[in-house]
Amino acid sequence: MKIIKFTFALLLCATISSCSSDDDTENLTGKLGNIIIKFDNGVDDQDFIFGTSYNTSSGESYKLETLKYLISNIRIKDNNGDTFMYPSEKNVFIIDEADGNNAGEIWVTLNDIAAANYTEITFGIGIDQDRYALGADGQGDFLAKAEEEGMMWSWATGFRFTRLDGTYSSDTVTDEALNIHMGSVGTAVDNYREVTLSLPNMAIVREDKTPELHVKADIAKLFDGTTSVSFDEGYSQVHVDETTTGVIANNAMDMFMVHHVHND
Amino acid sequence: MKKIFLLASALMFWLGCAKSEIQENYVPIPLEVEQPSNFPDIVYNLDNNLVTEAGFELGKRLFYDGKLSANGAIPCAFCHEQAFAFTHHGHTVSHGVNGGIGTRNAQPLQNLAYQSEFMWDGAASHLDFQPIIPLTSELEMGETLTNVIDKLSLDIYYQEQFKKAFEDGEINSENMLKALSQFMLMLVSSNSKYDKYVREEDNVMLTQIELDGFETFQNKCASCHATDLFTDQSYRNNGLSINPKLNDEGRYSIFENPNDKYKFKVPSLRNVEKSFPYMHDGRFATLEAVLNFYDSGLVNNGNVDPTLLRNDNTYGITLNEYEKESIIAFLKTLTDNEFLTDERFSEY
Ligand code: HEC
Ligand code: HEC
Repeated sequence: MKIIKFTFALLLCATISSCSSDDDTENLTGKLGNIIIKFDNGVDDQDFIFGTSYNTSSGESYKLETLKYLISNIRIKDNNGDTFMYPSEKNVFIIDEADGNNAGEIWVTLNDIAAANYTEITFGIGIDQDRYALGADGQGDFLAKAEEEGMMWSWATGFRFTRLDGTYSSDTVTDEALNIHMGSVGTAVDNYREVTLSLPNMAIVREDKTPELHVKADIAKLFDGTTSVSFDEGYSQVHVDETTTGVIANNAMDMFMVHHVHND
Repeated sequence: MKKIFLLASALMFWLGCAKSEIQENYVPIPLEVEQPSNFPDIVYNLDNNLVTEAGFELGKRLFYDGKLSANGAIPCAFCHEQAFAFTHHGHTVSHGVNGGIGTRNAQPLQNLAYQSEFMWDGAASHLDFQPIIPLTSELEMGETLTNVIDKLSLDIYYQEQFKKAFEDGEINSENMLKALSQFMLMLVSSNSKYDKYVREEDNVMLTQIELDGFETFQNKCASCHATDLFTDQSYRNNGLSINPKLNDEGRYSIFENPNDKYKFKVPSLRNVEKSFPYMHDGRFATLEAVLNFYDSGLVNNGNVDPTLLRNDNTYGITLNEYEKESIIAFLKTLTDNEFLTDERFSEY
């Protein structure tokens, strides 16, 4: 297998170099590289740490033991306006804070990306209706993984797009349960959202250059995004309710920014 | 030129992989999921999961295999027995691993290809995903998908059969769920006496009492038990008293919408003669009890279907003795013995 891949790569190089010698602008056609996306969860200007108390604008505080979300349908746009869609069957990821490295970063590596200079990234938070309608088709081991990670409901069929478990305190309660399990409910409630982020500097993908996108995710925005919510007032248990899940889904869109891109 | 070269090398690459990955054993022989002329259209997307002989066989084996449960003793078929239209015979509510008692009466498994939502409250909105609920429920099979896949991977039968059933031959959650769907999609009950009568097959006629029952049924029941599936697939509250021990709020648990309180999916009445006991909690043992309930047992639990309100401001469907008797005679024409004894679906 490896040898075949290698031969293929060699063949590819041979073909391309033999044909592209007539001009000296870099010909990227058919060349592939990789991208690494580092998800880095934080709260405002602090790093996110399990069991640490954070405040919301409504004067409440929360501590988390679980912090996971689903990312899917990643695609990137280059400086010619062409979009590269990562293959659908591999294009769904569970971002689990517990998988973070010592720097608290969760790495997602995308392989075989068309070599180009990328300026923009788009991805979905959750599972879109088209993917859901496929049922098991094309999902490989993802379903087992999602179930193992507690990203599927057990009492109904569906995915949790966010899974935050912990406790919150307010003027009236101390260390009450906090569970934010937002998701879509069949076709009736669609909480899938997409965000498009421009890259502060170009991500240069080449066969020998793997850029790293440092994506910051500000968890505070979930509760203080477009809409500020109060745990005491209906947001300590977010599961299926159409209104509360929708508010959290919209707030999730405010969470992400590409802080910088490392080109090597 | 370059393009051709690329194509050729891509082909070589593909062939190289193909040898090791595509199984020679995979020879798909398609099976047709019936579309009876008196049924609504199939809603399951068969293009995404071609039903094949090997896939169906695999699904059937999985359905009857206790390996899918934590204690090895609770296959799907434990709660879904063919002779009783794949219900849990004699149980009001089902029980599973380690004596865990569920809260609901097992539904019949039939004609699933024509429906888009499943379970009494519609909690399953794709047939492929439905099995995840019983598999992982602590009251039912108490397993995890990962663990079940690990167990299957050690079994020689499954090592062979997944290769026959799926092009990539992988033993994974995708293929396991697809195989279960293939088995369940084939569970079509469409050859009852009633079906033959409405499709004008084999000169089948209904008796006078059956015809009378059919007429009363159309007037008084078919607004909910609609189409030849005998369900309009909506969620309704038919005025059952609340069992405080279970306090099952039905559809309400899905969206927490107060308007959904105590609503349950209108059940199909096919094979209803065999699928007793009745209602989401199995509270009625006989069809007589069901009809007596409709006539005089409804309670105003706060959200009863408005169509069930009578002129005297009570809830119910007024039925005289002959109407009850004839409706029951009619309901028995929905029994499909070909389906209940079809050897393609039996364990042995
Ligand atoms: C412990 C008993 C039990 C086991 C084991 C069990 N089920 Fe069920 N099944 C039920 C009950 C009870 C319901 C109704 C549940 C509800 O509405 O909440 C049901 C409902 C269903 C439905 C929905 C039918 C419809 O018309 O909406 C399907 C499909 C189904 N089961 C398939 C399976 C499969 C496949 C398995 C094995 C993986 C399985 N069941 C294992 C008890 C069981
Ligand atoms: C307003 C809608 C509606 C009407 C009208 C209606 N039903 Fe039902 N029926 C339901 C619902 C909803 C259920 C399930 C209720 C539950 O379990 O909570 C049900 C359950 C049943 C069941 C139990 C089936 C099973 O598998 O458990 C039978 C039998 C039945 N109905 C027969 C009838 C007959 C006969 C009539 C006419 C006299 C009738 N129904 C009229 C909505 C209706």
